[in-house]
Amino acid sequence: MDNSDKIKPLSEKIVTSLLKDETSIDLDTFNTLTEDDKKHILFSVTNKNKREERLQLKNKLNKQKAWKAIIGSEKQSNTKRKMIYWYSGIAASIILLLSITLLSNKNDELINTAIVAENNIVIGTDKAILTLEDGSEVRLEKGQIYQANNITSNGEEIIYLLARQADHTEARTKEIAYNTLTVPRGGQFQIKLSDGTKVWLNSESQLKYPVVFNGLETRKVELVYGEAYFDVSSSTLHNGTKFKVYNQSQEVEVLGTEFNIKAYKDEANIYTTLVEGKVVVNYQDKKQSLEPNQQLNLNIQNNNINITKIDNTYKEVSWKKGEFNFKNKTLKGIMKTLSRWYDMEVIFENKNAEDKIFTISFQKSFSIEEILSSIKYANSINDYNIKGKTLTIK
Amino acid sequence: MDQNKTHELTMKEFENIFNRLYESLCLIANKYVNDLALSEDIVQDVFIKAWENKVPFKNKNKIEGFFYTAVKNKSLDFLRSKYAKDVETYSSEDLETLQTESYFLREAVIIEASSLVERALELLPDKCAEAMRLSIESYTNKEIADEMDISVNTVKDHKKVAYKKLRKMSGYLGIT
Repeated sequence: MDNSDKIKPLSEKIVTSLLKDETSIDLDTFNTLTEDDKKHILFSVTNKNKREERLQLKNKLNKQKAWKAIIGSEKQSNTKRKMIYWYSGIAASIILLLSITLLSNKNDELINTAIVAENNIVIGTDKAILTLEDGSEVRLEKGQIYQANNITSNGEEIIYLLARQADHTEARTKEIAYNTLTVPRGGQFQIKLSDGTKVWLNSESQLKYPVVFNGLETRKVELVYGEAYFDVSSSTLHNGTKFKVYNQSQEVEVLGTEFNIKAYKDEANIYTTLVEGKVVVNYQDKKQSLEPNQQLNLNIQNNNINITKIDNTYKEVSWKKGEFNFKNKTLKGIMKTLSRWYDMEVIFENKNAEDKIFTISFQKSFSIEEILSSIKYANSINDYNIKGKTLTIK
Repeated sequence: MDQNKTHELTMKEFENIFNRLYESLCLIANKYVNDLALSEDIVQDVFIKAWENKVPFKNKNKIEGFFYTAVKNKSLDFLRSKYAKDVETYSSEDLETLQTESYFLREAVIIEASSLVERALELLPDKCAEAMRLSIESYTNKEIADEMDISVNTVKDHKKVAYKKLRKMSGYLGIT
């Protein structure tokens, strides 16, 4: 085994001995190390000052920013990344994670200043409407706290108390009560169901679910419409019961995994993207299983399916982490997604612009004008105009 | 994970590896180039390449080794490059020493072992963790008792709880 393969076993051996409080640590099997090296290692791991030195260095690191830089820089074609980054400081400032790739014809006309008459387009926020089993509605909003029997919400997330065995038994004898969470345009929300499954709901989406799952039967929820990301609590924790997500045209069957379903009313396709684990998608009488990093695209008119490989599932589901990532998408498609978050209507006066293709990413906290001015800056649209809640692309 | 075939990482696994190793890898790079911002760039570049090239792993135990080695090589490349005209401004050691395998193994083990200790202690209740921390720093039970202002028996109890918990968690930590 070469040296790099020794790092792990050697570290584990040292740590195990330290934690077991063994007086002497036998590192004889690792004869590539000299006695001095061994002493130095043990001293450095256990010495208080050395430890604090390491912690201080670690505190200066920006892990989150690093992750974004790694994931954001994916495939800058084949142009070799130069050594520019040696001159520190350039490290991807994420103010505008903007890389616009224009594939269609460029427009060289001078850019006019956009006319913004009266901009009522606001950035989306955390909000949802909870419909209880008796039909009454509760508005949930950022900053507002809601509390009921077994439900709490901090205005960003709604949490159902983890069900105990007794609740399951009760649920079995009674009819199951359903709640519905509706996220309007311009909204987003998270929910934790009574089995511990977490669901992120995107703008203009609706989820119907039992208040308490029947402990012995398949756990069933319905994505009535819209987009949702599921992090399903493993079936091993729930007497082996499966978890199923229904919607109008398909049913996704899972054991414990993470995946995204996009099923908007105004789109002809349902997209199921598997991030981790395994799922089976049932549609009509057919079954199709998915592997991680695969996306199943079901056409709801003709029931044809198409499976594609997604290189970067992070980008596909980045909406739940506060980012939009579009890769080779048409401006029309991008605007459709944006119109849900910014709750606006988009009109293309210039039909040619609809099919222009973009690769673009930005934070969901950007204003619509910040986004449009970057698109305009790339010469891909002549101009735009906002009036009330309507955006016109010229 | 099937141990017998090469395994291409999913995004989620890749993210987990990043979360586990990023800080440690920056520290090892820093052991070579002695510049933390530069170390971060080196490590990020290694992760980007690993993801873009879809590096397959024969088995899970090779993952640490792969990343540590890649970061070491990239750091040495930098020190040898024209950008680092004068290695001494970067490192207290001379390039000869830095290029040895024993320097690499020694420093990598210090960092990896320390990171495992931190992760283990994070899993314990505060008092337990404190007792264990002092114990690792070679305090006797009596000294720990004095330091924490508790009885020697309580120290022993804390340790017992710690062993019990850590045995359960050892799979999670990768300690066997």
